[in-house]
Amino acid sequence: MRVEYINPFVESAYSIMKEVLNAEVKRGDLYLKKSSQPVMGVAAIVGLAGDVEGRVLFDMDEKTAIDIASAMNGEVLTEIDDLAKATITELANMITAQAVTKLHDLGFRFDLTPQAIITGQNMRVTDMNVEALIVPFELPQGKVEINVAIRERA
Amino acid sequence: MKTTSDFPSINERSPDGVKHGGGAYRVLIVDDSMFVTKQISQILSSEGFEVIGTAADGVEGVEKYKELYPNIDLVTMDITMPKMDGVTALEHIVEFDNDAKVVMVSALGKQDLVKKALLAGAKNYIVKPLDRKKVLERVVSVLG
Ligand SMILES: [Mg+2]
Repeated sequence: MRVEYINPFVESAYSIMKEVLNAEVKRGDLYLKKSSQPVMGVAAIVGLAGDVEGRVLFDMDEKTAIDIASAMNGEVLTEIDDLAKATITELANMITAQAVTKLHDLGFRFDLTPQAIITGQNMRVTDMNVEALIVPFELPQGKVEINVAIRERA
Repeated sequence: MKTTSDFPSINERSPDGVKHGGGAYRVLIVDDSMFVTKQISQILSSEGFEVIGTAADGVEGVEKYKELYPNIDLVTMDITMPKMDGVTALEHIVEFDNDAKVVMVSALGKQDLVKKALLAGAKNYIVKPLDRKKVLERVVSVLG
């Protein structure tokens, strides 16, 4: 996977999380994962389709998701309810939309597919024939990993 | 394109945010969440409403309302906020302007506070997560 795909996601994630959470956001080191990986418990997923295809996963544990949704809404949430799910989905959507605009400006052509959110314990994600690049972010609410797997269409 | 004047569409309607006599309904958004404020603002602006002010807590909300009065048509009022909660802010606004049109915005599970707000003079309420249709429906019902 070309690393240039991931930079727009990293930049957008950093600036948008900083803005909506009004908090210090720290970026960790990028790393590569093999084709099958565990996910932490709450994962928002957005697909890309066009010149390139793939998906972006926003992965965090349940408590982090609840605390992020609470902070974003100015509420005290206690579980992954509809509001928490809608909020994490919207966060993923905002980050992806901004990243895709940047990629469009660089000449890449593709659209977003409708996003989804999955929750549960002991989940794994498996990407066929494509490596995933992961960028961890440390927030006051916990860790969020942006997990990008994109490839050019054959 | 000139086609619209030649073929008047039966589906044409004026946006919800525009008054019958023309001019936009003027809205104050009171919410401690920038994210929610933006969501409400985007939904209302897209229908022609004019967001003339925002406030991040109840105290500021009451102040802004008094400042903007009488050139204000609607308030969206969050319930959970620092300094002064939305129900208390609502009470202050209604005390100042008995005809104030205030719509409460609440997370699920705050039925008691919503009920209290409705008894105190709130005209309607919206439960988060917000969706466009729900927000417009509730807001229009209050202005109609
Ligand atoms: Mg709030």
